[in-house]
Amino acid sequence: MKNALAGVERALFWTLAFAAFAAVAVGLGARAADRLASHYDAERASYAIVRVTYPEGPEGMEAAEAALRAAPHVAEAAPMSAERAAALLAEWSGAAVRPEDMPALSLIELTLAASAPRDVATRIERALTRNGVSAEIIMAPQASSGAGVGARVRTAALWGAGAFALVMALIVSLAARGIAARRREWVIVMADCGATRSQAAGKVADEAALLGLGAGAVGAGLAGAVAIAILLLAIPGAGLDALRAMILPIDLIPLAAAPFVTAIAAGAGARAAAGQFHAQAARLG
Amino acid sequence: MARANSFDTDLFDRGIAVRLDGLSAGYGAHTVLSGLDFEARKGEVALVTGPEAAGKSTLMHLLRLTLAPRAGRAVILGLDIGRSNAGQRAKLKRRIGYVAENPVFVEHLTALENIILPLKMARRRARAYERDVIELVDFVGLDRGGADLPVENISGAERRRAAIARALASKPDLILADDPTAGMSPEEGRRIVKRLAEMRRVGAAVVITSQDESLADVAPMQHWRIARGRLAIDHASSADAEAFE
Repeated sequence: MKNALAGVERALFWTLAFAAFAAVAVGLGARAADRLASHYDAERASYAIVRVTYPEGPEGMEAAEAALRAAPHVAEAAPMSAERAAALLAEWSGAAVRPEDMPALSLIELTLAASAPRDVATRIERALTRNGVSAEIIMAPQASSGAGVGARVRTAALWGAGAFALVMALIVSLAARGIAARRREWVIVMADCGATRSQAAGKVADEAALLGLGAGAVGAGLAGAVAIAILLLAIPGAGLDALRAMILPIDLIPLAAAPFVTAIAAGAGARAAAGQFHAQAARLG
Repeated sequence: MARANSFDTDLFDRGIAVRLDGLSAGYGAHTVLSGLDFEARKGEVALVTGPEAAGKSTLMHLLRLTLAPRAGRAVILGLDIGRSNAGQRAKLKRRIGYVAENPVFVEHLTALENIILPLKMARRRARAYERDVIELVDFVGLDRGGADLPVENISGAERRRAAIARALASKPDLILADDPTAGMSPEEGRRIVKRLAEMRRVGAAVVITSQDESLADVAPMQHWRIARGRLAIDHASSADAEAFE
C-alpha cells in the first residue's frame, strides 16, 4: 500500500480504522464487563454462612467443622473470628466496631465448589444433621439487591456492543461509498466497454474491501494496544505474563473479527454505490 | 426471417449490423424519436446529421443500449434488443465501440492505459495486443508522448483521439461516434471522420452523428438526416465506395 493512498483515500482509510478501533474498544469493554459480571455471580453463589444452633458453644462448632470437612461441595470452611465479624459489621454500618464488643459467634464461613448445585444448602444441612449438628445455612439472597445484576450487566454489555458494532459497520459502509464515488469514472468506462453491473461493482468492492481489511487491522491493533495499556495501569503489579495467563482466546474475538467485518462492510457499501453508478451509466444494460 | 428467440443471425449474416423498424424512444413523458426506420450495414458508414436537439444523441443511446425502445423493433449485430436479457446485452456491448460526445476517462491513468482498458477487461494478454495498440495510436493521430501522459494532462483534441482509439481497440463490429468533431476545427474534424470511416475496410459498421452536413463528402457513406425525431436517408449526398473513388 506504499504511496498508494492519496488524499481522500488516506482520510477514508483512517475513518474506517477509527470506526474499527471504536467497535473493537467497545467490544473489548463489553467482554471485560461480561467477565467481571460472571466473576461477581460466581463469587456471590460460592459464599455461604453456617449458623450453628445445636450443640451450643465450642463443642457445636468443632462438630460442625468436622462435618463440613466431609460435606459435599464445600471447598473451604472457616469459623468467623470476632475480628472478621467486626470488620464486616464496620464495613456494612460505616461505624467503628471493636472485636471485643462482639458476642460469642457460632458462625462458619463457607466457600462452595464451583460445581455446587442449586440445592447445596439442603445437602449441607443434611450432612450436618447426620453428624448431630443443627444449623442454618445462609446463602446470598436471590430476591434482594445484587441478585441478577450479573446477568443484566452481561446482557446489556453484549447487546450494547453488538448494536454499537452495527452502527460502526453502517458508518464504514457509508464511508466506503466515497471510494465508489472516486471510482465513478472507472465504473462509467467499464459500463461503456460492456462490463456487467457485477463486474464493475465487484472491482470497486474488492478495492474497498482491501482498504477495509487494512483499516480494520490497524484499528483493531490500536484498540488492542490501548486495552493492554489500560489493563497494566488498572491492575497493580500486573505484567505481560500475568495478562497472557488472564486473557482467554474468546476475549480476542473482537480483535480477530474487526478486519473482516470492516472489509465486508466497506465492500458492501462500495458495491452498492458502484452498482448504482453502473445502472446510471448503462440504464438498459 | 426473425426467429422466436432473441437472435436474428440471418439479418446479421446478410450484412445488416443495425436495423430499427418503427422505433420510438424518449425520456419520461417526452418522446424524442418516433416511428424511426434505420439501417446500417457491415463495411459501411452511416452519417446522421441534424440540428441541435433533433434526437441524434438519443439515437446513439438506443444503439449503445443505454436507452430502451418504447415501441418498434431494434436488431443490433443480430440481437433483437426487445427480446434480449441483460447478459446478452452486456456481451453485445463488448462488440460495440462508442465515442461519446464528452468522453469519460479514468483521469489518473495515461491515455494508453485508458485505450487498453477494454482489452484488459476482455482479459486479453498484453503480448497479443501491444503492436495493434501502437498502430492504433498512430492511426488516430495521437502523439506517442501524449499517449503516455495521464488523461487529465492532455488536450481536448487528444482526449477525443484517445476516445476513438479506445472505441476501436477491441476491434468492434459496430462503431458509434456521437458528434466526434465537436469543438474541433473543420479540417481536424474531417480528418477524424475520415479515420473513423476507414474502419469500414475491416468490416465494421460505422455510425457517426454530427451537426456538420459537409462531412458527408469526407468518405463513402450513407447520409441520413434527422429532424424532430424523424429520420430519412439523403440519397443525393450519399455515396458508395465505388462512386466516391
